[in-house]
Amino acid sequence: MAIAATIPSAEFDVIYSGESQGHLRKSVEPILKTENLWKLYHAGKVEVPALRGVNFSVQPGESVAVMGPSGCGKSTLLYVIGGLASASRGTVLVDGNDLAAMSDGERTKLRRSKIGFVFQRFNLLPTMTAKGNIAIAQYIHGDGFDPHRFDVVTKLLGLEGRLNHKPSEMSGGEQQRVAIARAIINEPKILLADEPTGNLDTRNSDIVLEMLRQLNKELGQTIVMITHNPEAVTYFDRVVHMRDGVIVDGVPAD
Amino acid sequence: MMGEMILRNLLHRPMRTFIGVLAIAVEVALVVLIVGLTSGILTETAKRVEGVGADIMLQPSSVGPIITMSNSPMPIKIKDRLLELPHVRFVAPVLLQFNSAGGVEVVYGIDKQSFNAVSGGFVFHQGHDLEDPDDLLMDDLAAKAKNVHVGQQFRLFNHDWNVVGIVEHGKGSRIFVPLATLQQLAGATDKASIFFIKCTRPELTEDVMAEMKQILPNYTIRAVKEYVSLMTSTNIPGLNAFVDAMIALAVCIGLLVIFLTMYTTVIERTRDIGVLKSLGANSPFIVRAVLYESAALCLGGIFAGVGLSYAVRAGFLKAFPTLAILITPEWILRAAVIAMLGAVLGASYPAWVASRRDAVEALTFD
Repeated sequence: MAIAATIPSAEFDVIYSGESQGHLRKSVEPILKTENLWKLYHAGKVEVPALRGVNFSVQPGESVAVMGPSGCGKSTLLYVIGGLASASRGTVLVDGNDLAAMSDGERTKLRRSKIGFVFQRFNLLPTMTAKGNIAIAQYIHGDGFDPHRFDVVTKLLGLEGRLNHKPSEMSGGEQQRVAIARAIINEPKILLADEPTGNLDTRNSDIVLEMLRQLNKELGQTIVMITHNPEAVTYFDRVVHMRDGVIVDGVPAD
Repeated sequence: MMGEMILRNLLHRPMRTFIGVLAIAVEVALVVLIVGLTSGILTETAKRVEGVGADIMLQPSSVGPIITMSNSPMPIKIKDRLLELPHVRFVAPVLLQFNSAGGVEVVYGIDKQSFNAVSGGFVFHQGHDLEDPDDLLMDDLAAKAKNVHVGQQFRLFNHDWNVVGIVEHGKGSRIFVPLATLQQLAGATDKASIFFIKCTRPELTEDVMAEMKQILPNYTIRAVKEYVSLMTSTNIPGLNAFVDAMIALAVCIGLLVIFLTMYTTVIERTRDIGVLKSLGANSPFIVRAVLYESAALCLGGIFAGVGLSYAVRAGFLKAFPTLAILITPEWILRAAVIAMLGAVLGASYPAWVASRRDAVEALTFD
């Protein structure tokens, strides 16, 4: 699906104004930075380290794919930098705010305004329509329903004809596009995607990856994506490999 | 948005929603009907006593507000002493006999002349007044409930009575028999359980009562108006406690059903809670979502409960015409508040559990 061809660039400017645009990509200050980040889980009296001193940074407008074998800590890293889980040690700076020093409530507030999530299993609210699933993100954000922004985002993701359908009435690709719309409706600083193509066929995977690339290239949306899909990494600026809770390299995709 | 989410959640599981609404409806109807039944019976009894038309009632000492069979009827000659008092116009002695066969009722043994003098006489739907010793009058509601007609025999206190008249309800009892016959059957010759006194003018009631207290200090003397005001559940020993216990039971039913409904809802929507948290919903938002859903469920139950109350009352009154169920806006409101508080309380723990869910665990919940 050729998203860019269908959406006038002027409409992008309406929803993505100012600092999150691509021209800030070369900013000196990273939008996301972790230093010696540890995450320990407790299995009874035993501490199991999921992250073992991760040092990682992402510049504004950058797209980064995180790859690695199952259980290497990719999802944990995503949850910690997204503020869903607390760090055991180290620092997590998101747009200059240290999540590791924040309470759960403070992280929630920051997540509401600066982070957007896309999950492998879509995680749409099953009782709500596509419209409701997107609008509830606006409602939680606190700005109320903005019909103009809503229209632009849903048009951007090609959802105009599916807004009154429930998730059970949509294909996987459509559900994931709704999830992306929900994630970007509030103009987050960072979009975190946890294997967003993991439950999709090749065609829908390509559509979703192309949309993510468009969001990044055209709108300057910072994206960190976890994936197992080697082909997916070609859509991203940089690939980071993880193993046993640490980042083992960081090389340009091309 | 919150409203839409709640409505869609409720519609998503229609059977669970129906059970929840039904439980609240039963809770509300129980409260409204139990209170309505007790207050209805008391109010209706009071109205019937008021309908006798007397200004003052004289009863043996230590008698509660409920008029039933007295264990220590008074000598009937008290009537003559009362008639000697100034401003006393008529005195009607009545022997009360409690009948529990085929229902619970108090039968009035009346002296026709004096009772008619005090009450102004019966309004007859059928038949005529008491004339013979075995004659019996029944009010229209009791006659309808018992399917009794003029001319048939009616067995009461192991005695066969001739039903000679069906009268308009509202004059003390539903069944009236001659005083002398009932005295004989009850072994209370020349005795009466209660004297209804009619003053020459209603405003002289206090004066007459003062005179009565002078000559009959050991008796219970009440103005009928005072008696009517006493006929509330708070003045009936044990009744208030019974009503409270029934209300508590109803509240427990509602609370437990709401608790179970919302708890299963929260478990089922664990992943949704994780999603809301990933979108930045804080704990108060999650708590509000659960409590509002519970409140919406309760609101539906309240409306259904009010409808159910009226439907049950209509059914009861058709089956038991002598019953009185008083449904008042005040108690509908109270039942609604009780149900709503119960629902909020019942949903509080599930709401707290939901708000405390770990976001990551919730998102990976299957």
